[in-house]
Amino acid sequence: MKKTLCITLVFLLIVSAVSFANGGGEGKAAADDELTIVVMPKLVGIPYFNAAEKGAVAAGKDLGVNVIYTGPTTADAAQQVRMVEDFIARGVDCIAVAPNDPAAMTPVLRKAQQAGVLIMDWDTPADPSVVDISVHQIDDVEYGQMFWDKLVEFAGKDTMDYAIITGGLSAANLNCWIDAGLKYAAAKYPGLNLLTERVPSDEKQQVAYQKALELIKAYPSMEGLICFSSPAPIGAGQAIQEKGLQNDITVIGCALPNDARPYIKDGSVDAALLWDPATLSYLTVYLAKKALTGEAITDGMEVPNVGKIGVSADGKTIIMGAPSEFNKDTVDNYDF
Amino acid sequence: MKQINTKKYRNEIILFIVFISVFILMSAISPSTFLTVYNMQSMAYQMPEFGIMTFAMMVVIITGGINLSVTATSALSAIIGGLVLSTLHSNGIGSFWVIAVSLIGFLIAAAACGALNGFVVAYVGVTPFLVTLATMTLFGGISVKITKGGAISGFPESFFFFGNGDVFGIPFPVIIYSLIILVTWILLNKSPFGLRAFMLGCNPKATLYSGVDTKKLLLKLYIYSGLLCGISAVIMASRYNSAKDTYGSSYLLQSVAASVLGGTDIAGGYGSVLGVVIAVAIIQVIYSGLNIAGLNPYLTNVVIGLILIFVLAINYLNSLRNRD
Repeated sequence: MKKTLCITLVFLLIVSAVSFANGGGEGKAAADDELTIVVMPKLVGIPYFNAAEKGAVAAGKDLGVNVIYTGPTTADAAQQVRMVEDFIARGVDCIAVAPNDPAAMTPVLRKAQQAGVLIMDWDTPADPSVVDISVHQIDDVEYGQMFWDKLVEFAGKDTMDYAIITGGLSAANLNCWIDAGLKYAAAKYPGLNLLTERVPSDEKQQVAYQKALELIKAYPSMEGLICFSSPAPIGAGQAIQEKGLQNDITVIGCALPNDARPYIKDGSVDAALLWDPATLSYLTVYLAKKALTGEAITDGMEVPNVGKIGVSADGKTIIMGAPSEFNKDTVDNYDF
Repeated sequence: MKQINTKKYRNEIILFIVFISVFILMSAISPSTFLTVYNMQSMAYQMPEFGIMTFAMMVVIITGGINLSVTATSALSAIIGGLVLSTLHSNGIGSFWVIAVSLIGFLIAAAACGALNGFVVAYVGVTPFLVTLATMTLFGGISVKITKGGAISGFPESFFFFGNGDVFGIPFPVIIYSLIILVTWILLNKSPFGLRAFMLGCNPKATLYSGVDTKKLLLKLYIYSGLLCGISAVIMASRYNSAKDTYGSSYLLQSVAASVLGGTDIAGGYGSVLGVVIAVAIIQVIYSGLNIAGLNPYLTNVVIGLILIFVLAINYLNSLRNRD
């Protein structure tokens, strides 16, 4: 028993060393009067949200607020709800969340709001009734439509068979863009023929790669592929590159330029449309600080490092601006 | 007599020491935020849904099997129960009947999922790993088909109570969890049923030849496992005020980890209810504690992995020493 105890103690020392080295310092670094803002992505460890982390942290440094950027390790709403509960217990000033599922977050966000925490959503909207400020990257309808416009532009024709690969069937923002785009395409490009229902790729590059290969095999007539969620076009690009179909299939997707660069360069992915996630998270922290210090947020105001923002009529929906297009010629201008 | 007891409960004692140490450690890292009444309450509300699902996993593991469909079963039963709930509610039926009928919906769906697993494992004879891997995909597919990828919501206010209410200050999920612990303990440790289940895990052939209907036994165990998933689903649907195919998906491997951490033999034949309860508490304290401290969530997994390896190593060394 004594031996067991000794080993236990030594082991706990190691664990505590790991914990202190990484997390313990953070709490102390924050002065007591500093505002603490939690920016929570859908999940951590994917390129898109890694880029967003840089922006959130930079904003924290620029504005003198304590930013905690953390989220679940899988895109699970249950895990995310638990993390928000923990932060209510900790007592933070603002929680800005990109919900994996808006409905699941409603009870916990209401609880946070009652506890006096400023509630924001970013990247993906939460239930509007429990949100104080909602930060949108783009106008959803315009963004969705842009994919179909680009597909036609890069393919050079508006009559073809195409398919859609999406991140997950239940992601609200992805569905919103696809629905807007499909509606638009039905009216403007009647010659476009959607081969099959949107194909989910679990927000994973490997799955998107397999699904793209399956689509290529199942539909030899396919000439266009629209990919939503940032790992999807990279997976599709990998499949196109492997099969040497760069000139036969036009791929339009939303992807980070650094990840998609090799595929954009060789034409496997024709164009990627995306806002800069770092700018989005920067704006989120900026607005959180404005709101917490009681300053007004107005339509058309100039935000440093972000640009002009739009505020919709309800006064709490903020729109960052138009997305950037990364293609063969422009991709090297971006680094994220 | 006392000596025998410490030997018998050695595993639980080690776990308890780990639990206390982890608790003290977390309190030391963030004294003003971890060690608060609010946080204790918050953790108490979080633990039951995961704890109950861990028991669903554990009762199958002691037979030498595994149930990879626990989270999918839970999600599907939440969706079916939730569908009944929201449909009846929107038709303006009295809230008592709405809840009573929908609870039956939750449990029937869950039991049916369990029965399917049990039937194929016991009567068709396919390996549990493969069967539940297949049903995981099957249930997940049915869930997405029903919900079309969205979430089912629109539950009556009174349903909120199951996941968020309290009785004399004790969170209602904790009451449900305590009952489940008690029932599972009686079932496994105080009934012939439990004895047979452990025997089956140790040696299925000998169990069969000693006159036990092992097929029926397996079927019952899988149904019980399914029912536990259904109860976990009720708490989750109430806490998240909706039901969706992916809710709780991260609990799948965590429930295996908690079962094993609690001393359950992955090869079957041994499992301790008390051990699992402490293991679930350890995992909860680590998750909440490190999260409150603002630690990178990947490092949280690293810490849990280290503790798992540590406890397993100690258990293994102890078993070697006992053999000598």
